[in-house]
Amino acid sequence: MGMWLKGLTAGVALTALVVGAGGAARAQEEIRIGVVYPLTGAAASTGVELKAAAELAAAITNKEIPAPDKLLAAVGMPNLKGAKIKLIFGDHQGNPQVGATETERLITQEKVVAVMGAYFSNVTATASQAAERYGIPFMNADSSSVTLTQRNFKWFFRTTPHDDLFVTNFFTFLQDFEKKKNVRLRDIALFNENTLWGNETTRLELKLADQQEFKVVEKLHYPAKTAQMTSEVQRLKAANPAVIMQSSYLGDAILSMKTYKELGFMPQMLLANDAGFNDSEFLKTLGKDGEFVISREVWALDQADRNPLIKAVNALMLERAKVNFNGNSARAFTGMAVLADAINRAGSTSPEDIRKALAATDIGSDRIIMPWKGIRFDQSGQNELGQGIIVQVQGGQYVTVWPFDVATKDIVFPIPAWNAR
Amino acid sequence: MTDLRKAAGPALFFAVALALPLVVTDPARLNFLILILMGAQLGVAWNVLGGYAGQVSLGHTVFYGIGAYASTMLSLKLGLSPWLGMLAGGVVAVAFALAMGWPCFRLKGHYFAMATIAVAEIVQVLVTGSDWLEGAVGLYPPMSPTGFGAMVFGTSKVPYYYLILGLLTLSLAAGWAIERSFIGYYFRAIKDEPEAARALGVNLTRYKLVAIAVSAFLTALGGTFYAQKELFIDPGSVLSTSISIKIALITILGGVGSLFGPVVGAVILVAVEEYSRVIFGSTGAGTDMIVYAVLIILVAVYSPTGVMGLARDLKRRFVPGRTAAEVRP
Amino acid sequence: MHIDILLQIAVSGLLIGLIYALVAIGLTLIFGVMDIVNFAHGEFLMLGMYACFWAFALWAFDPIFTLPLTALLLFGVGVAIYQTVIRRIIKAPMLSQIFATFGLMILLRGLAQFFWKPDHRLVGHSIVDGRIALGPVQFGLPQTVAALGAVLITGGLWFFLNRTRLGTALEATAIDKEAATLMGIDAQRMFALAWGIGAACAGVAGGLLSTFFPIFPEVGANFSLTAFVVVVLGGFGSIAGAFWAGIIVGLVEVAGGFFVGPEYKVAIVLSLMLLVLLVRPRGLMGKA
Repeated sequence: MGMWLKGLTAGVALTALVVGAGGAARAQEEIRIGVVYPLTGAAASTGVELKAAAELAAAITNKEIPAPDKLLAAVGMPNLKGAKIKLIFGDHQGNPQVGATETERLITQEKVVAVMGAYFSNVTATASQAAERYGIPFMNADSSSVTLTQRNFKWFFRTTPHDDLFVTNFFTFLQDFEKKKNVRLRDIALFNENTLWGNETTRLELKLADQQEFKVVEKLHYPAKTAQMTSEVQRLKAANPAVIMQSSYLGDAILSMKTYKELGFMPQMLLANDAGFNDSEFLKTLGKDGEFVISREVWALDQADRNPLIKAVNALMLERAKVNFNGNSARAFTGMAVLADAINRAGSTSPEDIRKALAATDIGSDRIIMPWKGIRFDQSGQNELGQGIIVQVQGGQYVTVWPFDVATKDIVFPIPAWNAR
Repeated sequence: MTDLRKAAGPALFFAVALALPLVVTDPARLNFLILILMGAQLGVAWNVLGGYAGQVSLGHTVFYGIGAYASTMLSLKLGLSPWLGMLAGGVVAVAFALAMGWPCFRLKGHYFAMATIAVAEIVQVLVTGSDWLEGAVGLYPPMSPTGFGAMVFGTSKVPYYYLILGLLTLSLAAGWAIERSFIGYYFRAIKDEPEAARALGVNLTRYKLVAIAVSAFLTALGGTFYAQKELFIDPGSVLSTSISIKIALITILGGVGSLFGPVVGAVILVAVEEYSRVIFGSTGAGTDMIVYAVLIILVAVYSPTGVMGLARDLKRRFVPGRTAAEVRP
Repeated sequence: MHIDILLQIAVSGLLIGLIYALVAIGLTLIFGVMDIVNFAHGEFLMLGMYACFWAFALWAFDPIFTLPLTALLLFGVGVAIYQTVIRRIIKAPMLSQIFATFGLMILLRGLAQFFWKPDHRLVGHSIVDGRIALGPVQFGLPQTVAALGAVLITGGLWFFLNRTRLGTALEATAIDKEAATLMGIDAQRMFALAWGIGAACAGVAGGLLSTFFPIFPEVGANFSLTAFVVVVLGGFGSIAGAFWAGIIVGLVEVAGGFFVGPEYKVAIVLSLMLLVLLVRPRGLMGKA
């Protein structure tokens, strides 16, 4: 019996030692914020860019690099005696369970006071659920699935507009464009990838097409991990739409462009749903084959002419991470800045105070690098002042073409055929 | 004496497992232990088919997914308790397993493994395309009410821990019963000497079907547990081939066909997976994958019979008093 | 249904099918010779893509000219992997072999991300670009050149296996290991050779794809399931089987994606494989 007890105690002690029982106390002078992104796996290239953007926002808040006073992040932490933000990163690998596990680890072990993430909508779903259970604010800067803010969560805040707004923008844009150019673009094809994002987008597009009397001549969902897209493009070609609305991640966006070229097909207008088409690497890899794609965006570098902050902050990003901002990284930067600002206004690192400060957020459009009317959260945690723009690739740059009052260039329409370029 | 000694290991395991939540209070660490137990439970379930009966399935995610979807749908559409859903999921999984096993058991070795991957991938595609199951959008099991009846437990991880420990115990008991009974004897015959077994009049297909039914039932229970723990399921998170492979890896790592092998395998694999990600994952340089992969390769190369096999070899070498027959599983 | 469309589907299916065949031939060769399923095969393809990409990015070598070098390089990688890892697990149970090659798959992906970053890349300006039209049917030049390359390599491999001493020895080992050993063939050498050639096939396929398929550390995943399906459909170890099965899978995938819907194209190909297995449990041309 004595041996038994010894064995039992030793076993428990050993396991407890290995996994580490209890939590270690942390020094309070730093403000610990958890960030979960896909840092390995198929979306790692995007994740690494988002990480750099969040780090830039933290560095500016920490006064490690000087930035224009007007910028939201430049306020720093005066109400917390200049305390420094420390970002703790977690890699969710694009896996919803890992997203929840990492969020929980950041909250309970790393003692973070808030969490930001997670790019993929389905990972955001589980990660924010973990934060909700623990009562820790979750800042989402870059997932656009509508369902995320329909869950009546108390601790969930989303700065980016969601798909409903984006898809509505598509149709408003098409109607505006029809009026302006006196053309009719009523035959549309929906070409979306086959996960949460693509499926929700299709539902919204079908609904709006029906309401606004557009005719959906083809509706396709394709699997993202694919070795060829010729069947897809042939279906599109056979349906002969005037406009294709496409939602793709980076790899499939590139492959689809190559396949359009292979089969010599291009509609009058290719209206892309951000993501892969606006990744920094899209144009880098495709070069001139990426020309004339029109995409909804949340951000564009040419808006720097209207907003000097964009130019200044982009220069900092270019210096630090050797890459220009894009829609994704600009949103991650803004999300982190909003979170830091809320912590400063709360004047405390208690999650409840931060949540109240986030809920009271009211930031003007002149302090952020997004083309939004500002940032103010509604009851569901959704920023109600966000808006989208539409850009077109012209001369290797994304230029703003809609809304017409902020456009910097006219739209090239229709897209020139492949052999007419 | 031998029996007592044999029982000492498992008894110690259960005693330690039962006592651990008293010492480990941090939820993230408890969560880590839960992940280990989840992996172990799936490994033990897989072992019934892949280890004892020697039919290597790389499509077990389909049973896992059935468990997760069945309980979630019943709870969302009919308001049934996940406990009933769990049972229903198990029954559906058994039915599916029999329908799938009957034709597939004609295939041997790698062909059988590929067929199981194919079935699982096809089911993933069909579920993704199904509006009724909310396709790619995924399902959210209700977050409230919480409590034992609803199988949802706020922030406390302790109930989840004991629940999965219970499921693991149930699976181990099933494995143990099979090992001891005439069924286990037939399984080993199917695995090692299929021709001889057939000549002796053993109905191979019938016993393979028994194995896949038990294995599928237990795997589906694990699926329901996942849905109730994460409270979000979609085809990517419960129906992907990477889950099938992970389940098989856990068992191979620990030792195929050994009752406690998957438990040992899960401890090691989950620990390596979690710690390499936590320590190296935040760099974004892929270092966590490299560490994880190197460990996997080392185990495969230096301990092809898994950790339990390695332990047996060591024992045989350093404990001369015992004969090989005694230390066989 | 318009005849133009049917023709175009046939052409597109054939072009991609030939690539599938080349990838699968390498996989089936390794299996035939030593009964090991290589889960890291898609990663050889990835390495081939990167080899062509870097030759292009650093020295502006066109992938068309880098191909022989890619083949040599991947041959070396295959042999090295055989010597360091596979040699030690030849006698291990099937499951630990799966385990080892699965580890290799993760390792190669991790190393690619570590050294070359997770970015997506592409060989931007190859001399093969554009498209020719034969009547209503479009032939993308990069895709056509890739398919022709695949045919050439497959033909060369067939010649090697059937008309050279070394190749016949390899083929003999694939058909019957014990007999081959009795005939004085060094099995170890044949195993290493199979890994070298297998990796080179996948690497060349990667090189051929590099002008029109995005290159990133996880790209192997897009091809590996298909490669397995082709190998099983053709029959494990059968090179001719892999060739014809590759073409069949290409055609069925493109046609299925067109007529049923792209979200079901993987399921259609897998169902075909299952159906064939039910009738012929060892694939179309597998050895009994």
